[in-house]
Amino acid sequence: MLDEPYRWIEAINDRRDYVEDQLRPGSPVVGLNYNEGMLLLTVGGGQRKIFEVHNRTALSAIGHPAYIEQLRMLATDTASVQGFQNSVDDVTLHRLANFVLGPAIKQAFEAIFGGAPIIKMLLAELGTLGRENQFISISYDGTVVTNRHAQLIGGTDAIENAMNQSLAASDSNDGSLNSTVRLALETWAVGRDLSLQENDETDRPETDESPADPAQIHEVLKTELNEGQIEAAVLDTTRRGNSKFRLLQPEEIENLTAGWL
Amino acid sequence: MSHKGDFLTLLKSQNCHIQLGTDDLNSGSLPFGAAGDSGTHSLEVAEGTTVIAVRYQDGILIAGDRRATAGTSVMYDRAEKVLSIDDYSVLAISGSPAIAYEVARVLEHSFQYFRRSQLQELSVEGKLRMLSRLIRENLPMALQGIGGVIPILALYDMNHQEDENGGKIYFYDALGAHFENAAFAVSGSGSVWIRGILRYLDRWEGGPLAEMDLQKATRTVLRLLDTASEYDVATSGYNPKSRIFPTAKTITREGIRDLPEQQLDEIYTESVDVDYA
Repeated sequence: MLDEPYRWIEAINDRRDYVEDQLRPGSPVVGLNYNEGMLLLTVGGGQRKIFEVHNRTALSAIGHPAYIEQLRMLATDTASVQGFQNSVDDVTLHRLANFVLGPAIKQAFEAIFGGAPIIKMLLAELGTLGRENQFISISYDGTVVTNRHAQLIGGTDAIENAMNQSLAASDSNDGSLNSTVRLALETWAVGRDLSLQENDETDRPETDESPADPAQIHEVLKTELNEGQIEAAVLDTTRRGNSKFRLLQPEEIENLTAGWL
Repeated sequence: MSHKGDFLTLLKSQNCHIQLGTDDLNSGSLPFGAAGDSGTHSLEVAEGTTVIAVRYQDGILIAGDRRATAGTSVMYDRAEKVLSIDDYSVLAISGSPAIAYEVARVLEHSFQYFRRSQLQELSVEGKLRMLSRLIRENLPMALQGIGGVIPILALYDMNHQEDENGGKIYFYDALGAHFENAAFAVSGSGSVWIRGILRYLDRWEGGPLAEMDLQKATRTVLRLLDTASEYDVATSGYNPKSRIFPTAKTITREGIRDLPEQQLDEIYTESVDVDYA
């Protein structure tokens, strides 16, 4: 079969369809900069999805928990060993994404006799002197996309496009953690709303990217938060010590969203 | 591959070996004058220190002098011997700096790796055992008399918040055994000159050390370091010409804080560097 290019391409396409179907209901993750650092936010059902990788690097993902765990440990182990062998300053997201995670995911995706990597990752790196903040998303086929200001991952391209549109249209963020959390939640809800619609109407055209009604988005958020919990973490420049990662505690999230949700 | 949060196992699996005593001994790359060599120990390694940790009302104050010596030579007068390991743990090192700094580095990375991989903080007992393990692995160097490390580990135990003061002080022997001292611990070549004073202060003079406020604790610690420097040439006192102060950190419920030089300067001027009448 490997000698037959057309069947290989067909197998890859089948694999792509299969992975996208699996990822479709995944809860999106939103990454945004704010005045004092970077925020990663999602809404989940209890299983943790946002992780510390190294002093200035955080990771989140949607997909199968086993793949998330496998790649999280690959990233953590690699960063930990590199940081110890050389210097913690030599651990960079660029190297981690392009030399470690991206190739590993691509290889797994194209190894058609093995399990398909059901995963999309969003990584964030807090900048230092001479290095800006950076978000990187890695798709299930190993494609790496970099953005300095914001990045998000959702179940499908249509969901991500809708979320990006919503984010671009928003002018409510003053850069505080408070308003950044709210913007991230609104953006998440846009993606979640579309994800639910796509699940209801599997034949819905993926090009439908009409802007969502704010009231409807708020309603989606309220409904989803009846069952799920907000999970958010920051890479905080003001944090003492080498490690800048901090999970926001439930009370803190409650304070940040008080009077708004 | 799962390493169950053990950083040393991870390093070994990646063919990255830490250079403590065991590895050197196995590889046969012993320095001149080491065990097995009938000649004299002619290798001079930088060592000599006084580090001190005392419990005060809000947590732990831990401080150390800045001098590194080799034999009768002062090698460096700005050495950092009080090192933050994580948000609530501080290691005060004495002995061979090369090994001590490596122990501190491995410890820091080990705690971080456990937290990141296992998604929870390493327990206090786990931290103590990790340091024991590193000291034990360094035993060959300690036995040769050129690479011994006797640290103090001070930390704030966040799982004991019902206690008013979660600060804890542990000291070690050269084989890696650890002991908790509720009030204070000292280590280094100058410690013999101040250990008895601490006992005296804690037992009879001015009440338990743990009831001191930060100002009094800082004054006490700086006076003790100054005393140690008076009798131990390997311990530096305050050097007014170059304005080199001891390193001092506090560990409280809020985390670790470096005492600023200005604060140390004021206390030195008022309470330590006083003229005899």
